[in-house]
Amino acid sequence: MSQGELEPFTWRVTREQIAAYAEASGDHNPIHLDDHAARAAGLPGVIAHGMLGMAQLANFVVAYAGDHRRLRKLRCRFSGMVLPGDVITFSGRVAEASGNLVRLELEAQNQKGERVLTKALAELTA
Amino acid sequence: MSEIVGKSYPPVKIGIEEAHVRAFAEAIGADPDAGVPPTYAAVYALFATAVQLYGDPEAAVDFAHLLHSEQEFTWEHHPEVGDQVIATGTVEEDVDRRNLRFLTYATAVTSDGSPLCGSRMVNVIRG
Repeated sequence: MSQGELEPFTWRVTREQIAAYAEASGDHNPIHLDDHAARAAGLPGVIAHGMLGMAQLANFVVAYAGDHRRLRKLRCRFSGMVLPGDVITFSGRVAEASGNLVRLELEAQNQKGERVLTKALAELTA
Repeated sequence: MSEIVGKSYPPVKIGIEEAHVRAFAEAIGADPDAGVPPTYAAVYALFATAVQLYGDPEAAVDFAHLLHSEQEFTWEHHPEVGDQVIATGTVEEDVDRRNLRFLTYATAVTSDGSPLCGSRMVNVIRG
């Protein structure tokens, strides 16, 4: 880990957490809960909510920032499916630190090295 | 389809309730004692207003073929438990490219009349 890089963060994806997220967020789209519905939609089986992955991205950034109240912007593209059993690794680096703002460039890959979140960035107050 | 660009939906009032925030924090693996997790904005900004878009016959969103493609949140500040916020959704862009419909939906959230959070969601809908 070189200077300016964030401590990597690992997320193990489970059906239980996806179901808990559906309940807590109110997003009950059956592609996240029911394999039959997911396959009918052309997916291999249930997939995690994009927003559950973004929540992990936020956890990663908050672990670095210390306090979520510093976060001013969080953005990502959902580039790949996230499935139960996947192990997602988040990495990031400080791209810019000037004035009152710290900008982080972030990404997330699964255990096969496929990028599941791209164009990800966060901005924090210094 | 592009005639819905610029369309706004009625403001939605949302209470930031402690029990719900704690349940959300536990579900995502965040510290339930640390306040409102940033991506709780999925609840008070995104989903609070996305249902209006998805339920609008004029928008004609084919929900079965919809994927959440990109998401951005910006915060002036973060809400705290007990706050009341008001979320207003607006269709920002609606374009077809290569048999895909790209639908961008922006939500502005205020608290006590001041800007709190902005959400921008890009959906891709297969034709």
